[in-house]
Order: sequence, then structure tokens, then C-alpha cells
Amino acid sequence: MNSSTKKWLFIKFSSAILIPLMLWFLVNLVSVYDSNYPEVVSFFATQPSKILFSIFIIFAFFFSSLTISEIFEDYIHDEKIKNAANKSVYIFAIIMPLITIIGIFNLTL
Amino acid sequence: MMQYKNNPLTPHLQIYRWQISSLLSITHRIVGVINFTAISLICIWSVSLLLGQLNYEITKIFLQSFLGKFMIICLCWTFSFHILNEIRHLCWDLGYGFDLKTSKITGIIVIIGSFVLTVGTYLLGRNLI
Repeated sequence: MNSSTKKWLFIKFSSAILIPLMLWFLVNLVSVYDSNYPEVVSFFATQPSKILFSIFIIFAFFFSSLTISEIFEDYIHDEKIKNAANKSVYIFAIIMPLITIIGIFNLTL
Repeated sequence: MMQYKNNPLTPHLQIYRWQISSLLSITHRIVGVINFTAISLICIWSVSLLLGQLNYEITKIFLQSFLGKFMIICLCWTFSFHILNEIRHLCWDLGYGFDLKTSKITGIIVIIGSFVLTVGTYLLGRNLI
């Protein structure tokens, strides 16, 4: 399979998974964003929100990195700058969810 | 070669007349970048909870302010718009709604629907419905 086809399939697959997760997260974000510390910690540290939030950010960063690289493809002329920008986004999309998941799994009530 | 380098890149925003398809396309990209930034900030916010209650209070004061609430409502819209337009894109990929008339109608549905979904998710999240 062509690498561009694979990338397109990954984008479509991840977007289909993200749609219900985004809706779930949005409703929950609105309900906790101005709550007290114990309530917010409880949201991130208890199941099923802990696992759902983890899955949400994994797919969100995976999807975002692939789609942002499409934006770079359209707007950045220079190949070197484009490659550097793509690599930076891919690295960020791995590190950010990893740190967040480790962080929320260490949260205690 | 120089002439080639000076050619405009896609999607030629400054050349073509604005239509609902181009408006939604560029908005989808801008909103996608905003959502990426917002999710990154939410990740930082969730990790910052490890620093304890005192540090959390600073973020809480901001989020309880008018600007904080406004940001959350804006985020509801950017998420809602992205969800609905992504569904539209997935329908296209499955071969539905690709003709000009239908794509214009679904485009308008996405714009109106994003505001309806924003209000719906906000009210649902605040337990008002």
C-alpha cells in the first residue's frame, strides 16, 4: 500500500474514533473546568474518565500530527524546513500524551 | 525556476472568490490548529494538578473569570464545528453528498449545527438540560 494511502486511512480511522470521544470530553470539560480541586482530580484520576481521556488524547495527537503535516505540505516551500516542522510535530505528538498519561495515572484523590 | 517558486500554493486563498466550500475548508484547518493548541493546554492543565491545590487555585480563578468562561464557550464551538465538518468529510469519503448542491446544503448545516451543538453541549455539561 502506498504511504500516502496509509496516511489517509490513518487520518480517517482516527477521526471516526475521535468524534464520539470529542463529544464525551467536551461535555465533561464544561462540567468540571471551574470545579474545585478534588472534583477535577476525581475526574482525571477515576475510571472510566481516566482511560477515556487517555484514549482521547492519544487519538487527538495522532490525528492532529497527521493533519498538521498536511498543512505544512500545502504551505511550506522549503523541504528542509518542512521536514523539520513535521519531525517537531511528530515528536511533540508522542511526548505530550505520554507525559499527560503518566501524570494522570500518578494523580491520587 | 524562480517563477515556479513564486507560484501561490494551495488553496489559493487570495485568488479564488470565497464560497461556502472554501470558507469551511480554511475554517476547518484554522479550527483544527486551535483545537490542537487547546488540547495541549488541557494536557498541561491536567498534569499541573500534580503540583497540588494551591497551584490549581490560580488556574481556577482564571477559568472562573469572564475571559475563562468565554474561552470555554469558544472551545465548545471549535470542537463542535470540527466534529460536524469531520462527519461531513467522512460522508464524502463514503461517497455520499459530494454533488455541488448537497455539499452546499451540508455546509450550511455544519455552520448552523455547530452553534446548536455548542449551546447543547454547554447546557448538557452544566446540567441545565
